[in-house]
Amino acid sequence: MTRQRVEPSVIAVERGPSRRRSRGPLAAVATIVLLLTLLPLARPLIGQPYNYVLQIGMVGLMWIALASSWNIIGGFAGYISLGHNVFYGIGGYASGLLLLYFDWSPLLTWPIAGLLAVICGFLVGLVTLRTRGPAFIISTVALLLMVALLFDNWEFVGASNGLSLPLPPFSIETVKIPFYYAMLLIAVGSVYLSYRVAHSKFGLALRAIAQDETKAEVGGIDTRKMKVTAFSISAFFVGAAGAVWGYSLTYLRPAIFFSIAIAAEMVLMAIIGGRGTVAGPVVGAILLVTLNEISVSQFGSTELNIVVTGVIMLVVLLFFPMGVVGTLRERGKLPSILDWD
Amino acid sequence: MTTLLDVAGLSKGFGGLQAVNDCSFTVERGAIAGLIGPNGAGKTTAFNMISGVLRPDAGAVLVDGVDITGMMPHKVARRGVGRTFQITRELGDLTVLENMVVPTARGRLSGLFGARMLRDEEERAMELLDFVGISRLADEKARNLSFGQRKLLEFASALMADPTLLLLDEPAGGVNPALLERMMERIRTLNEQGLTFLIVEHNMDVVMNLCRSIVVMAHGEVVLTGSPAVVQNDDRVLDAYLGKV
Ligand SMILES: Nc1ncnc2c1ncn2[C@@H]1O[C@H](COP(=O)(O)OP(=O)(O)OP(=O)(O)O)[C@@H](O)[C@H]1O
Ligand SMILES: [Mg+2]
Repeated sequence: MTRQRVEPSVIAVERGPSRRRSRGPLAAVATIVLLLTLLPLARPLIGQPYNYVLQIGMVGLMWIALASSWNIIGGFAGYISLGHNVFYGIGGYASGLLLLYFDWSPLLTWPIAGLLAVICGFLVGLVTLRTRGPAFIISTVALLLMVALLFDNWEFVGASNGLSLPLPPFSIETVKIPFYYAMLLIAVGSVYLSYRVAHSKFGLALRAIAQDETKAEVGGIDTRKMKVTAFSISAFFVGAAGAVWGYSLTYLRPAIFFSIAIAAEMVLMAIIGGRGTVAGPVVGAILLVTLNEISVSQFGSTELNIVVTGVIMLVVLLFFPMGVVGTLRERGKLPSILDWD
Repeated sequence: MTTLLDVAGLSKGFGGLQAVNDCSFTVERGAIAGLIGPNGAGKTTAFNMISGVLRPDAGAVLVDGVDITGMMPHKVARRGVGRTFQITRELGDLTVLENMVVPTARGRLSGLFGARMLRDEEERAMELLDFVGISRLADEKARNLSFGQRKLLEFASALMADPTLLLLDEPAGGVNPALLERMMERIRTLNEQGLTFLIVEHNMDVVMNLCRSIVVMAHGEVVLTGSPAVVQNDDRVLDAYLGKV
């Protein structure tokens, strides 16, 4: 080295993305999405359990959306929210009220539910993100309890009895199809958002925040703005999923949306799959939904089912302490089809 | 010469302890200034207040005539004040290269649809890593670096933001002599290119070699300011280190 060049590069380098950015297994993922899109057309192949298959598919896609969205704030930014289902309920109720009292099209109500969740996320984030660590977790739980109490007592939304929604205008044979597609769209949107976060400067800032907020600040990052933004955008697909789920049930009740078990499930899926990775929450959601389905069919909806699920999860975490995707990546054994980061 | 950093009457207490007490000094633009003093003198606390990490109880910090007292650290950083930490704070889960480009994520949120790292940013980061001699570790997780390598990364990542004033908190602490030599040479090169330094350091060879003006602190107060020759021959400095003040 004869001469050091440390002034900003004067050579006009093309401001393209760095070569280090991998394209990811795009073809494989696109194929999976295509197959999922074609699934409802395969009625002759599926036969009798058609509605059951679509229902399970829809539930799985919903959890993929919920866990992936949670991962933006809880995984990338490292802020564990145990009240994220507040946005799920807000979405469900916002859409339900628009359907019921204003006769709006469900095609409009779910994105509106998502946007309302973003606005609520922004306002909540401004307050709760002043805390960090355990204090933040507790503040999100407190929020959840408060909102649950509000909905339990709010007559306009039917209090604890809830609301009955207008029935979707479909026959029993076809009723699952639109809900399945709506959830597919929401799941794909969530995973794409998560992918964008992982591959952007915004995501880099969040990962820095997760590790050392002071260091990120000293690096010039407006940590507060980044965190509040992450929190609010992570609410969008959660609210949207709540809207679709509520309509598919045809009734709303606070217990369906505001149970802490739902928040816990989002967290567990992200952790089992791999917090702070794009594929992790997807893998975690598929694992847990499948596991739950098998154990319900074997043991019924009993305590035994919950115990079995819990034990299996503990075992998984014992062998994959950073979640399935996180641990495999750390060991360099992640199949390329799951390497989305 | 004009004043780049003006610290005026800065104070900070922790409970009953007055860590920094009415501390005033200036750093000229283009200088390599030293800030020395025995353990617990309040040097790091002063750095924390200048960089916005701690809010002063009293006093003001001016950079280029602009009052930055009590600003958030990211605002201070964007005004061209960089710093390193005495106990290095690399982001262990990120690669060395990712650590380097974190300061480029300070921009607008439009970043969500852009790339994580632009080609020119990567080149600049690699240049700087090369400059401190750790470019071969670019893809290594930062937590796998040795102590000395962390000091170098801390230094290089502070440069990535193109500061006009760089505060170095014990850059030589625990660094082996070969690395130390390189670090000093790099500081001089950067200074020739116009970067102003304020350096906290216990290694007197480094301080006397690099710095043309030195601020001596003890018990949170400025005891003396002057050139290396003045500081070396002043009894008050020895007293401060021997705890006689
Ligand atoms: N966050 C804090 N809370 C309480 N006391 C603190 C805190 N930070 C520093 N102190 C105390 O303030 C005093 C000054 O500490 P400071 O770290 O600024 O000293 P220093 O000059 O950097 O010392 P060293 O050379 O050992 O790094 C010390 O007595 C220290 O224990
Ligand atoms: Mg110190």
